Amino acid sequence: MSSKGASLKGLLLVALLVSHMLLTKEGVTSMPICPNGSGNCQLTLEELFDRAVKLAHYIHYLSSEIFNEFDERYAQGRGFIAKAVNSCHTASLTTPEDKEQAQQIHHEDLLNLILGVLRSWNDPLIHLASEVQRMKEAPETILWKAVEIEEQNKRLLEGMEKIVGRVHSGEVENDIHTPWEGLPSLQLADEDSRLFAFYNLLHCLRRDSHKIDNYLKVLKCRLIHDNNC
Amino acid sequence: DILQSPQISKCRSPEMETFSCFWTAGNFYNLTVPRILQLLYKKSNEEDWKECPDYITSGQNSCYFNASYTSVWTPYCVQLASKNEVYDKKCFSVDEIVLPDPPVHLNWTLLNTSQTGIHGDIQVRWDPPPTADVRKGWITLEYELQYKEVNETKWKELKPRLSTMVPLYSLKTARDYEIRIRSRQRTSEKFGEFSEILYVSFSQIGIGCDHCTEEVEFPWFLVVVFGVCGLAVTVISIVLSKQPRLKMLIFPPVPVPKIKGIDPDLLKKGKLDEVNSILACHDNYKAQLYCDDLWVEFIELDIEDPEEKNRASDTDRLLSEDDLKSHSCLGTKDDDSGRASCCEPDIPETDFSASDTCDATSDSDQFKKATEKEGDLLCLERQDNDESLPNLASTDPQRQHRNTQSENSNVWAPFEDSVESPHLSVHTQISNQNSLTSTDFYAQVSDITPAGRVVLSPGQKSKLGRAQREGCTEQNFPMDNTYFCEADVKKCIAVTSHEENEPRVQEQGFNEDGYFTTESLTTTVANLGAPTAAPPSSETPVADYTSIHIVQSPQGLVLNATALPVPDKEFNVSCGYVSTDQLNKIMP
Repeated sequence: MSSKGASLKGLLLVALLVSHMLLTKEGVTSMPICPNGSGNCQLTLEELFDRAVKLAHYIHYLSSEIFNEFDERYAQGRGFIAKAVNSCHTASLTTPEDKEQAQQIHHEDLLNLILGVLRSWNDPLIHLASEVQRMKEAPETILWKAVEIEEQNKRLLEGMEKIVGRVHSGEVENDIHTPWEGLPSLQLADEDSRLFAFYNLLHCLRRDSHKIDNYLKVLKCRLIHDNNC
Repeated sequence: DILQSPQISKCRSPEMETFSCFWTAGNFYNLTVPRILQLLYKKSNEEDWKECPDYITSGQNSCYFNASYTSVWTPYCVQLASKNEVYDKKCFSVDEIVLPDPPVHLNWTLLNTSQTGIHGDIQVRWDPPPTADVRKGWITLEYELQYKEVNETKWKELKPRLSTMVPLYSLKTARDYEIRIRSRQRTSEKFGEFSEILYVSFSQIGIGCDHCTEEVEFPWFLVVVFGVCGLAVTVISIVLSKQPRLKMLIFPPVPVPKIKGIDPDLLKKGKLDEVNSILACHDNYKAQLYCDDLWVEFIELDIEDPEEKNRASDTDRLLSEDDLKSHSCLGTKDDDSGRASCCEPDIPETDFSASDTCDATSDSDQFKKATEKEGDLLCLERQDNDESLPNLASTDPQRQHRNTQSENSNVWAPFEDSVESPHLSVHTQISNQNSLTSTDFYAQVSDITPAGRVVLSPGQKSKLGRAQREGCTEQNFPMDNTYFCEADVKKCIAVTSHEENEPRVQEQGFNEDGYFTTESLTTTVANLGAPTAAPPSSETPVADYTSIHIVQSPQGLVLNATALPVPDKEFNVSCGYVSTDQLNKIMP
C-alpha cells in the first residue's frame, strides 16, 4: 500500500508540474547538475547568461501578468491610467534609454546597473508579497505571482553576482541601489490611494523587469555571441 | 453622418527604437477656417508640450519620432490639438506599443513525401523583419505561422515560436497551399501585421500527383447511419422475439421482491397446506419461532386440512370421541425420513426444531402421512389448543393452535403410542371440565403426565393434579435452552393412577428423541405412586401462567400451584426457552 501511495504521490507531482508548466507557458528549469561532477564545478559564462536571461524573462512575464490582472480587477474605472505618468523609485539610476545608449555603455557598468536595479527591488518585492495578501479579496493568482516574483528576483540577483564576479576585471564596485520608501503608501487607510500605490508599484515593476530582460539579452549577444544572436 | 472629432487612432513602435502616432481627422468639414491639427508630445519629466518633429515620414495624419526622440522606458503623453482645442490625448511608454513588422523572405523546401506520394512534408523558413535588431538582442521576436489550402477559407495556426523555420507535415501533394507569418515582441500579446503570402505548390517541383486517387475519406456518416439502423433492428427483434431466453439474456428481468423459498404464485393459487409448510420451514419463520413468546412459538400458518374446516369448535372436537378414536395418532409414525436429512445439527434431537428446518416437502409429507384424517394433529393439538392462552393474538386462533399442534405433531410423535391413552384421560378430564365450565374454548395445560398425557385446567377454574406433579421430581433437565422450551410445553404431569397404567406398557417401544424419552417417562411413572387425581374442580383461581416449581430433566417442569408472578419477559428472553438462571429466579 505504501508503494502505491508513493507512486500516486509521484504521479500527482508530475501532473502538478506539467500543469504548472502549461499554465505559465514557461518551464522554469531547475539548475542542472554540473557536468564535471567534481567539487570545483564551474558553469560557463554562456550557461550563466542563458540562465539569467531565462530568469529575467520569466520575471518580466510574471510582472506583466500581475499588472494586467491587477489592472483588470482593481483599476478599472478609477482613472489610474491617466495617472500612470509616475516616477519609479529606480528612476534615479541612469539606465540606458535606447539602443544606442545600451550599445555604448560598458558591459561592466551595465552589469552593475542591473545589479543595482535588482537590489533596489529586493525590499519592495518583499513588501509587495506581504501587502498584497491584505488586499480585499485578492485573487490567488496575484498572490502567488507576487511571491514567485520575489523569489525569482533573489535567484537572479545571485546569478548576476556570479556573472559579475566572472566578468569583472577589477574590484567589485559598491552596489548602487536606491532605497524604497513606498511602504507607507501601500498601507494607506484610504482604499483608493492604497490601490493607486499598488498600481504604480506594479507598473514600475513591469517596466524595470523589462529593462533588465533587455539589458541582459543585449549583454549576452554582445559578450557571448559577439553581436550575432 | 456622425460627427467625429479628430482622434489618435494608435501609436506604434516597430522596433523599440522609433515610434509613430496616427490619427483620424474627423469630419468637421463645415468649419470655415481649415483646421490645423497638431500633435504635441511631452515626456514625463518635462513640462512643456512640444510639437511633432516629423509629420511626413509615416504618412498622412501621422507623426514620426525617430530614434533621437525616443526614450524607450520613459512615459510619453501625446495630444492632438488645434490652436484652441485639444481633441485627444494619449499616454504610454514605448516599450508598451511595440508591434514588429512582418517577417520577410519566406520560402519552403520539401522534406520528404509519403510512399504513395499523396502526402508530403515541407520546411518553411523566413527572416525576421529587417527593422528589428534581433542580432544585437535589442528585441526578441516570436513568430506565428498560418497555412491553408488554396480554396479553403479558414487558416490553420501553429503555436508561436522563436525560431525562424518550421516544418509542415502531411500536406497533400495534389493541393496547393498558402502560408503567412506574423511576429510580435516576445513579452507582448499583440502581433504585428502578416507577411506576404507564400504559395506552396508541389506540382511545380514535379512531384504533384494528379493521377493519384484521392484518399477516400472515412464514410463516417454512412457508418453512423448503418450502425444505428442495425442496432435498432437488433433491439426490436430481440424485444419481439418469442424466445424468452434470448430476451432474458439481453434484457434481464428486474428482480421483484421475493422471499427465498416462497413462490408468490403459490401464495395466490396454491394449496394452503403447501404454503404453510413452506412458511413453516422458512428460516425467518424459524427464528421467530424460537424467539417469540414461548406461548406463541408454535404459531404457523394454517395447514388446512379439508376435514378440519368442518370442525365447529375445538371443544366439540375434543368432546367427540369418534374423532378421538379415529385419530391415528398412533399411526403417526415418527419416521425420520426426510426430516433427519434436513435437520440442523446444532439443534439436535428436537423434533420440533427438526420440523422447522425441514423443507416444505418433508414437512408436508409428514403432515400428509400424519394426517390421514385430522387424527394425529388433533390428539395433542387439542391439548395444545387448550393450553394456548389468550395472549395468542391471532386472528384465527383456532387455526393457529391447530398449526402449532401440527408442529407438535412431530414433536409429539414419539408419544404416539402414549397419546391415545392420554386422550382418553384428557377426554375425560376435558369432558369433566367442559361439564364444569361453560365454554372455555382454551384450557390451560397445567400438567403433563410422564406418559405424555396432558392435564388441563380450564381457565380460571380448576387446577388439576397438583399432586401429580410430584411425579416428575426424579429426573433433571439438561441445561440447554432448547430443551427447556420443549420442557415448558411438556410439563411433567402426574396423572391419575388409572391413566398411568395404560401408557406404561405402550411406551416401551418408543425411541428416544431427546426430550421426553418414554423410558424416562415410564420411570417417572413407575416412581409415581398412585397419584390421586385432584378434583377437577378446584375453586382456586388458576393463573394463566403458572410458575415453574421444579425443573426436572428430562421430563419437564413441575408447575407451581401458587400463582407466582411470572415475569413474562423471562420466558421470552431466551428464545422461548427458560434457562436455569431464569428458573432460579422464578422459583421460590
